[in-house]
Amino acid sequence: MEPADEGSEWNDITGANWHGLSLTDPIKSVQDKWLLLPAFLKVKGLVKQHIDSFNYFVETDIKNIVKANNKVTSDVDPRFWLKYTNIVVGMPDRNEPNAIEKKVTPNECRLRDITYSAPIMVTIHYTRGKNIVQRTVNIGRLPIMLRSSRCVLTNKTDPELARMTECPLDPGGYFVVKGTEKVILVQEQLSKNRIIVELDTVKGIVQASCTSSTHGGLKSKTYVITKKGKIYLRHNCTHEDIPIVIALKALGIQSDKEILLLTAGNTDSYKAAFSANLEEAAKLGVFTRQQALEYIGSRVKVNRRVVGPRRPAWEEALEAMATIVLAHVPVNGLDFRPKAIFVATMTRRVLMAMEDEKMVDDRDYVGNKRLELAGQLLALLFEDLFKTYNTNLKSAIDKVLKKDSRTNEFDAFNTMQLQGDHLTAGFTRAISTGNWSLKRFKMERAGVTHVLSRLSFISALGMMTRISSQFEKTRKVSGPRALQPSQWGMLCPSDTPEGEACGLVKNLALMTHITTDVEEEPIIRLAFMLGVEDISLATGTEIYGPHTFVVNVNGTIIGLTRYPARFVHQFRCLRRARRVSEFVSVYVNHHHKAVHIASDGGRICRPMIIVEGGRPRVRAEHIELLKKGSVTFDDFLRKGLVEYLDVNEENDTYIALYESEIVPSTTTHLEIEPFTLLGAVAGLIPYPHHNQSPRNTYQCAMGKQAIGAIAYNQLNRIDTLLYLSVYPQQPMVKTRTIELIGYDRLPAGQNATVAVMSYSGYDIEDALILNKASLDRGYGRCQVLRKNTSMIRKYPNGTYDRLADAPPDENNSGQVAKKYDIIQMDGLAGVGERVDPGDVYVNKQSPTNAADNSFSGQAATVPYRNTPMTYKSPVAGNIDKILISDTENDQTLIKVLIRQTRRPELGDKFSSRHGQKGVCGLIVNQEDMPFNDQGINPDTIMNPHGFPSRMTVGKMIELLAGKAGVLSGNLQYGTAFGGSKVEDMSRILVEHGFSYAGKDMLTSGITGEPLEAYVYFGPIYYQKLKHMVMDKMHARARGPRATLTRQPTEGRSREGGLRLGEMERDCLIGYGATQLLLERLMISSDKFEVNACGKCGLMGYNGWCTYCKSSKQMAQLTIPYAAKLLFQELMAMNVVPRLILDDA
Amino acid sequence: MDQQNTNSNNNQPRAGFAPPVREIMEYSCADCGATNEIKSREPIRCRECGHRIMYKKRTKRMVQFEAR
Repeated sequence: MEPADEGSEWNDITGANWHGLSLTDPIKSVQDKWLLLPAFLKVKGLVKQHIDSFNYFVETDIKNIVKANNKVTSDVDPRFWLKYTNIVVGMPDRNEPNAIEKKVTPNECRLRDITYSAPIMVTIHYTRGKNIVQRTVNIGRLPIMLRSSRCVLTNKTDPELARMTECPLDPGGYFVVKGTEKVILVQEQLSKNRIIVELDTVKGIVQASCTSSTHGGLKSKTYVITKKGKIYLRHNCTHEDIPIVIALKALGIQSDKEILLLTAGNTDSYKAAFSANLEEAAKLGVFTRQQALEYIGSRVKVNRRVVGPRRPAWEEALEAMATIVLAHVPVNGLDFRPKAIFVATMTRRVLMAMEDEKMVDDRDYVGNKRLELAGQLLALLFEDLFKTYNTNLKSAIDKVLKKDSRTNEFDAFNTMQLQGDHLTAGFTRAISTGNWSLKRFKMERAGVTHVLSRLSFISALGMMTRISSQFEKTRKVSGPRALQPSQWGMLCPSDTPEGEACGLVKNLALMTHITTDVEEEPIIRLAFMLGVEDISLATGTEIYGPHTFVVNVNGTIIGLTRYPARFVHQFRCLRRARRVSEFVSVYVNHHHKAVHIASDGGRICRPMIIVEGGRPRVRAEHIELLKKGSVTFDDFLRKGLVEYLDVNEENDTYIALYESEIVPSTTTHLEIEPFTLLGAVAGLIPYPHHNQSPRNTYQCAMGKQAIGAIAYNQLNRIDTLLYLSVYPQQPMVKTRTIELIGYDRLPAGQNATVAVMSYSGYDIEDALILNKASLDRGYGRCQVLRKNTSMIRKYPNGTYDRLADAPPDENNSGQVAKKYDIIQMDGLAGVGERVDPGDVYVNKQSPTNAADNSFSGQAATVPYRNTPMTYKSPVAGNIDKILISDTENDQTLIKVLIRQTRRPELGDKFSSRHGQKGVCGLIVNQEDMPFNDQGINPDTIMNPHGFPSRMTVGKMIELLAGKAGVLSGNLQYGTAFGGSKVEDMSRILVEHGFSYAGKDMLTSGITGEPLEAYVYFGPIYYQKLKHMVMDKMHARARGPRATLTRQPTEGRSREGGLRLGEMERDCLIGYGATQLLLERLMISSDKFEVNACGKCGLMGYNGWCTYCKSSKQMAQLTIPYAAKLLFQELMAMNVVPRLILDDA
Repeated sequence: MDQQNTNSNNNQPRAGFAPPVREIMEYSCADCGATNEIKSREPIRCRECGHRIMYKKRTKRMVQFEAR
């Protein structure tokens, strides 16, 4: 265990200081062990799981996929073959043949609406004539994840990043496809290849299920279920359930005695419960393996494609049992032993659950879940595309080889060049639409990718840590939504949306990491070396013996051990010595008497300090070295001071929360820092441990809507909609998380001086009072930048769009119309000019015959029509930027960025960091605001009624700590489960001559009298949220109508009417206000004059009935146009509606 | 208003008459900052560095802001 001494500084302290310090030890605790967290974030980080997963795909998985599909042969020429020997994904480059600078930056891709992708190069060996040739071919392009190993941004310094107009704080982990940033969200799934036992209490059914998933293979689910007290094997490939004894016999366990031993063991109650199954098999006349196979064979669904002689039933059964049922358990040759034992284990688990209901598994337990990341999804996509590519290539080669005589020798290289962009198009389509429809793998998923939300820095970061649940969408079960105790430290308990997706969408905690696959074979070999006995040599007596534990590797049983504790200990020692990957977990499950070793990808894990002999292995000296920067987190791992634990292994350990809580003989691990149980978004909240928990959840939702700085390159970006704060400030009360994620450098809010008091009546229901002078000084001021895109197209018929300068006004000769005022000679508005509503800023003209493909005249002579871009917002803006570029298919792209500067106004939404939102209710002149004896006015007045029911004590402490910080000139900390203490804050306040309670004596600005109560007064960090009245305000008297129904249009964007809805209508009916109803529903809406015939009841026109050919009984009446439409539609369906006229 | 009037007066001779005195529109390269011209139906590419993104230069006209 003791690491070998190498004489280095590091080794000195790990080796020495072990003994003789026991007296002073409890006092000398590791002070700054939280420093491990920034060290961890440096190597792993919040989005590292995305990046690791992508790297694993690009470096390892893609090679495995190609290796598995590496040969292309021809049906025509048996001598021809083509082999892939290697595949390499290059660095992202420009997809232009004559480019000078090949390297491309992600920001250029964003601006030019192109894809940030790299070429996929394969090395091929193939026959050309009689020779074997080696070539390297580009088979397509792969979109590259930002900050992955193939990205130009990795390992770049901040100045280098600035040169590439990229933000150093940007987390990466997303793709840029056609100019939009796309994220593949983490997906949560039930773990594969593991047995899960469930109980249906309604039907009284116990079932053990196992979803098999082999690498790149098909997924299938196998059940062992109870039915009327008997046990059956159920699988999709059989018509009916197969009695378990028959299934086991088919798997080569022929004697009833052995079956009984392998399933029930020597436990009498299990034997009694199982005996009925043996009887059933005997009743069905199945005694031998052959009979069992015949029985199953007649029930297997045969999907035969190949024409040939029909195979006997037992052969079908053999194939199904070997390859389809529990496909992940290996069958070497025809050795079904491991599979038989697996089925027997499932059966035993069912028997156990039948006797004791507590033996069922919990599907919501985080240890039973796996997270699927971008790399795995891309691997599936690539495999599908690559297989299709190979079939296409094969048929193309066959087509050429079919021709007998050729002028020159056939070269498959040329055929490969002509294969088109199947892979490129497949990748871009899948990522930009989010539809993963892979017929080959029976996968049909929509909404896999999302556009990265850039409302604020936090919203982008929050999106990268988000986990969406794949199963159970709208079901009304509370289980999957509930907070699981096992998600402690792995998933954030606060950050989840409210409403429909509550509890289904989760977020990763700060220190979580998601594993990637680790090779299984060396681990199995290692297990055997540590004394595990091969399972194939054992029967039920040994397997279920009193002291034997079954050893599983990734859910598959490999052997037995009689000393599980020793085995697990030795295995862990080897892992700490880095002989095994640090992400391999090993733990004992005493209920199932099993040792589980897991090396599969998608497990959630987090690092923990190892405790040995009652003392943490990380000591103050190590932290000193870390502070000096001479060691990294990896050194801690390598030296066995820190290790990763996944959820299952966590259950097999004793973890102390604080060093003082270590119990010498039992404790095995120590938390690095308790605040890491929160995620990145919840980490912004100061003193969250003092708040009512839903308030923290509300803040997690609102923090993502706060207007602030987005990235260092925010002014070099052109997003569809960008909200920027003009004067963002870092919070007075910070948290450690804020510093770690960089929120103090890209903040979204301002420290407002708040007086908690009532003021006028405009502050009820959470409304805020704002100080007008503060607004003048820039409080809450923000900029809204909106992108407007226009393409100057070239059409297939040779015509093209053009930009024209301002046309002279027709009636006012020579003068240019006002709306063209800002248009310059190139047909684009001048940069910096003010755009008023209705102004034209891109004076584009399109040919009138652009769609006419038969046109073959001079392109310059065609008539043009105006297709300008007009400014629509009711408030003037300024042209911020005009970008002109070419897209990948050589169309000219024009992006116009228009900026509006907004100061807060009545109705704008603000919130503190404690889920306390409110709208501005009144803007008060500074002289009317209350002031303290130093003459300080509040920026905001908040009504004290916001506190009692919300119980956001954290906000009150934030005010206190903020005030102390302001007075002492420091920033204070409000880190969860720690932070600046209230007592210390009060002391600082007293030292500066303020009340310890944070209350001040204020004087009314209106009357000049002192207020009768002391007022809680100090700075609170306030966020301005993106919901602003300017974007919502809407009213209409008369306006546009829909063409079909002639009713007013719907929605603010179409200047729509305000609907008198069903419920309002019900009120009016109930009240009997008929005239008002008539006015609202017809006169002010779609009244229409019709001429109706009193005789036939049909509608005519101009006082003439076309049916009766008379004008005698014609009458004019007003009906809703929609009613007239209904009548006509009914007539079109051969239904005659007749109007019966009466005197009103 | 004043500013607008003076401007439209300046523009008038160019906009109104048949051979307009073409004021050359200038664009700056997003990468190297070199001043470029853009000819219609030619690929947009900086003649200094070959970069494909251009920004239009700021207007020469006076812009007045309402400081509120």
